[in-house]
Amino acid sequence: MNLILISVITMGGLGALFAFILSIANKKFKIEEDPKTEKILEVLPGANCGGCGYASCRNFAEEIVKGGASVNACVVGGENVAQEIAKIMGVKVGVTEKRVAFVHCRAHNGEKMKKAEYEGIKECGAADIILGADLACQYGCLGYGDCEDACLFDAITMVDGLPEIDVTKCTGCGNCVKACPRNLISLEVLNRDVQYKIACASLDKGKRAREVCLKSCISCGICERVCPFDACHMREELPYIDERNCQGCGVCAQKCPRNVIIEMGVNEWMKV
Amino acid sequence: MKIILLFLSAALVNNFVLRYFLGICPFLGVTGRIESAVAMGFATTFVMTLTAAIIWVIDYFILFPFHLFFLEYVAAILVIASLVQFLEMFIHKSSPTLYRALGIYLPLITTNCSIFFLALLIPLRGYNFVQSIIFGFGAGMGFTLVMFIMAGIREELDFADVPKPLQGAAITLILAGLLALAFMGFTGLIGV
Repeated sequence: MNLILISVITMGGLGALFAFILSIANKKFKIEEDPKTEKILEVLPGANCGGCGYASCRNFAEEIVKGGASVNACVVGGENVAQEIAKIMGVKVGVTEKRVAFVHCRAHNGEKMKKAEYEGIKECGAADIILGADLACQYGCLGYGDCEDACLFDAITMVDGLPEIDVTKCTGCGNCVKACPRNLISLEVLNRDVQYKIACASLDKGKRAREVCLKSCISCGICERVCPFDACHMREELPYIDERNCQGCGVCAQKCPRNVIIEMGVNEWMKV
Repeated sequence: MKIILLFLSAALVNNFVLRYFLGICPFLGVTGRIESAVAMGFATTFVMTLTAAIIWVIDYFILFPFHLFFLEYVAAILVIASLVQFLEMFIHKSSPTLYRALGIYLPLITTNCSIFFLALLIPLRGYNFVQSIIFGFGAGMGFTLVMFIMAGIREELDFADVPKPLQGAAITLILAGLLALAFMGFTGLIGV
């Protein structure tokens, strides 16, 4: 009993002594932080996704206060957060565009040809290193879902070997863009009325592209010919849509024999 | 004379990192750049020296007179944690750049096994107050020296053509092993 009492007293005393010294030190070495940092941090989503280009939300908030970062750089929070931060900083913010991930491949399992059996690590990164593992197309989606793993917001689900992006959940942080070893995902502005995108990244010649995949661009150039606004041009083996000229008529998408030109945000695999 | 020998023994012959293999995490983690490695070394030296002094006082004036030998561990943890907390505040105030460079490894000095080992070794070896401080300081300086050597080699390594399978952690561990071999050359120099 006596032993317990002595232990408690000595350890408690030591603890109290150190706590006292530390509390003095804390007062003496206190760092004056701009209260705005804390306020901005409260507004930010706090996911530390790195979409703004800074290591953490705190880091980003500190940079805003310092004036190094713009108030609307948080892609996750979007418009609302930008307005809130602008209010705290006392500045005005322009319109921020919502950007979402877009996958430049639409070949599901069964539509893309296999060239071998693959029993290795089920990751796109690993499969890409060994020449795309079993996938015949050297540009297409490997389908092991590295992007799904990278997404912090649960916006990507792998459906039949192709990532399906939930536009309502996608915040445009760009983690999937970095995760894809084949650079098939890009961030595209969403809030336009109609816009058409090329959902194929194959730079193969037409014949080869036709052999390896059912949903590939075969560089036929029909889209370029039918476009009434001179907005669609062939570049190497793929069409490129000039957004300045595109009026969203959709003729190219209708005429494409391989259905690789799609309207963004409305088709079945990109749920809105 | 004995004091100098004790210092050299702790710093070189019985180097904590390369002889006892303690404190490996900062040894591998913060040795990327010389500045942060040396800063880490000095921070650890500071904590080690003060820990040695405070632990000696606590051991011989509080714990041993009351026969509270079983509280040695608790006391050591208490002292080390408080010192590191203090150090963290101090560095955050005096050099935010250094604070950011050390990152997570600064609070991790708390769990640096070499400091805990030091705290437990002092009563075992039966050092007096001055000897304890010298022992702590020597161990810290030895740690700093090894950190400095390691960081220097690793900086040079940036320009070396390392074979692909050995890049990164592998070559670092090989380096650590070779350094430990080199430090074995000090064995028998001092019989302390």
